[in-house]
Amino acid sequence: MIREITLGQYYPVDSVLHRMDPRTKLFGTMIFIVSLFLADSLEAYGVATIFLVLVIRLSKVPFSFMIRGLKAILFLLLISVSFNLFLTPGTEIFRIGFLKLTWEGLRLAGFMALRLIYLVIGSSVMTLTTTPNELTDGLEKSMGFLKRVGVPVHEISMMMSIALRFIPILVEETDKIMKAQMARGADFESGNLIQKAKSMVPLLVPLFISAFRRATDLAMAMEARCYHGGEGRTKMKPLRYGRRDYLGYLAYLVYLAVMILLRWY
Amino acid sequence: MGIIRASKLIYDYIRRDEDDKVEEVNRAIDGLDLDIKAGDFVAILGHNGSGKSTFAKQVNGILLPTEGTVWISGMKTTDESHIWDIRKTAGMVFQNPDNQIIGNIVEEDVGFGPENLGVPTEEIWRRVDESLEAVGMTAYRLKSPNKLSGGQKQRVAIAGVMAMRPQCIILDEPTAMLDPNGRKEVIRTIRELNQKEGITVLLITHYMEEVIWADRVIVMDDGRLVMDGTPREIFSRVKELKDYRLDVPQVTELAYELKQEGVELPDGILTVEELTEHLLPMLQTARAEE
Amino acid sequence: MAIRAEHINYLYGEGTAFEQYALKDVSFEIHDGQFIGVIGHTGSGKSTLIQHLNGLLRASSGKIYYNNEDIYQDGYNMKMLRSRVGLVFQYPEHQLFEVDVFSDVCFGPKNQGLSKEEVEQRAREALIQVGLEERFWKQSPFELSGGQKRRVAIAGVLAMRPEVLILDEPTAGLDPRGRDEILEQISALHKEKKMTILLVSHSMEDIARYADRILVMSHGEKIFDAPPKKVFRHYRELEQIGLAAPQITYVIQRLRDGGIPLKEDITTVEEAKAGILELLGKAGGEV
Repeated sequence: MIREITLGQYYPVDSVLHRMDPRTKLFGTMIFIVSLFLADSLEAYGVATIFLVLVIRLSKVPFSFMIRGLKAILFLLLISVSFNLFLTPGTEIFRIGFLKLTWEGLRLAGFMALRLIYLVIGSSVMTLTTTPNELTDGLEKSMGFLKRVGVPVHEISMMMSIALRFIPILVEETDKIMKAQMARGADFESGNLIQKAKSMVPLLVPLFISAFRRATDLAMAMEARCYHGGEGRTKMKPLRYGRRDYLGYLAYLVYLAVMILLRWY
Repeated sequence: MGIIRASKLIYDYIRRDEDDKVEEVNRAIDGLDLDIKAGDFVAILGHNGSGKSTFAKQVNGILLPTEGTVWISGMKTTDESHIWDIRKTAGMVFQNPDNQIIGNIVEEDVGFGPENLGVPTEEIWRRVDESLEAVGMTAYRLKSPNKLSGGQKQRVAIAGVMAMRPQCIILDEPTAMLDPNGRKEVIRTIRELNQKEGITVLLITHYMEEVIWADRVIVMDDGRLVMDGTPREIFSRVKELKDYRLDVPQVTELAYELKQEGVELPDGILTVEELTEHLLPMLQTARAEE
Repeated sequence: MAIRAEHINYLYGEGTAFEQYALKDVSFEIHDGQFIGVIGHTGSGKSTLIQHLNGLLRASSGKIYYNNEDIYQDGYNMKMLRSRVGLVFQYPEHQLFEVDVFSDVCFGPKNQGLSKEEVEQRAREALIQVGLEERFWKQSPFELSGGQKRRVAIAGVLAMRPEVLILDEPTAGLDPRGRDEILEQISALHKEKKMTILLVSHSMEDIARYADRILVMSHGEKIFDAPPKKVFRHYRELEQIGLAAPQITYVIQRLRDGGIPLKEDITTVEEAKAGILELLGKAGGEV
């Protein structure tokens, strides 16, 4: 269902994190991801957990929203955990056939699971507290240096922002066309691979046509509202660093330092 | 000269084959002369393919005349140096509410126009606040457009145009995809903008109930202007309207039919109240005589 | 009897915090040959309801019978049900995909596994039923006008020769003439082919003209199920749920309030004209 897509789903409340500059949050998320790959001890994961819990508290987003994104990686999570559980050499706890469960495996699998879960939650914190537009603005500004080598940074970020706006609409549309064709006796499930691929034609053709129609309409609507590229454009929400951002950077760096210390000392 | 003026306007849709040779020419507007006064609420009626939408796109320079001229506030639409002035003077709202909202958050969408115009940040906020207030969508400013009803989306689109501080808004069948409640909501908003802010409104529609409030009604057929007058004048010509593939509100039709049978009623009755006001005494006398 | 629905409930997001009833204890029967109007504001559950009737959505609880057979029983042939109960979605032209009009209309009957001759025979018949001239048949559906595309899409469902035809706002976005043409064709299918019709519409005027029974939905519940004249009598309640009776109803109500003995159940222009003329002692007072 469309309602369950968490990625790019902004949770509108007013919090320190919501008001923070998207660049700070992008940087912070990066730091957090790096720190997860540094962590290899219980203490390190403990620090990461405290940090994450603090950030979530600050964001004022209900915890249930944070973990919604996990559904998408559940399968990946199960596979990597079971691989690590049973295929890590070390002190055996018990074995079933050729599969043996080891203490090392248990530890590794646990860490692996935590890392994946924290990765998803950590990025969700960012997407839940940042509107997609702020996010693309942040990327546009952070990547601004690429403009000098001819990368159309503004255009790319505009496209990303529009894509985010239209993904839910197209998902809904897919569902509708699929049902309409099923009402005409279409079968999207049975048959071999080739038959299945063929059965997608009645779905994909209308979907593409609709996407093109929407794109044409949208281009016209944007022109009618005087859009003419990034030149001479001002911003409703310009990116400006405030005190909270400097504090944010400081907190992130202190956290990273702690994680590095825990890793090598 | 009015705010929108068209003179001998002709527009051809030209279809070309792969070698750029003209394959088919379709004349959508055929010699249109029109002058619209600032502050008026003008409704344009016409069946699908009558050229009314093509005309709407002429007004803010999305399409340019094949022949003839269109002036907006005295600026020719063919004058490229004024194209952004024209587009901000004559803002446009389209039919499909989903395909004209660019922002992922209501307020960001409303700010899109001013951003493009290079308006300073503080001023953008002021305009966004005012525009949202004007269409009654302030409470939804932080919502995702996908969570809104059709009528609400159209109001956001109208706010997006208002934020460019236009003198005139052209609405190209803004209610065609809405349910009755959404339609009422949008029409109420447009009327308010016309009355309170003095915005010139050009409403393109084929719902007759929506035009009874207009100052002026124009009927287009085959790319030409075929009827032009007040709603009352236009709606007294029921037969002609039907010939142009249009419809009239049920009360207007009933009044017209009764008149044809010799019942003495004024021309172009538009509302239930009007009709009953005239019928009631007549029926009461008829009863008293019995 | 064509369709019987018993205590249908449909929940969105079952088991989550967002659990919400889209349909709540809806029951009704549809008899062969009826023309039923379904009305309700956006989000009232009417679109959800009609998708249950051909099995595209499955009720969270409750039962649906088609010709006295439980459609939720094991081994029930859903594909067969979908060809018997044809469903035309809103803006059905958005589902067209074939290179030409004729092949697109063939899609439905082809999925029914019929022979090539039979498929083409049905497609021809359906295109004639919707009144699309033969010169358009080999054209790309995307080159047609909005109204023509819509008729091709309706033909695509008719070609399966359904016994029940459900249409979700088939006139949305069309101009008055296009709207009348489509409605007349639907009415012809009902009268000449004895097809059972379910018409979802926002237009009370249209429903008053064609339907012999109305289902009114509000917040997922069926609140009225009666002939139009009876339903429109409750125009005040209809207004409360964001609907309205046809304009004529209001004229008649106002005149009746003024002591004029017009029949309460007048809902169309013709009836009103006849009634008023009769009272005024003029000609044309029959009907």
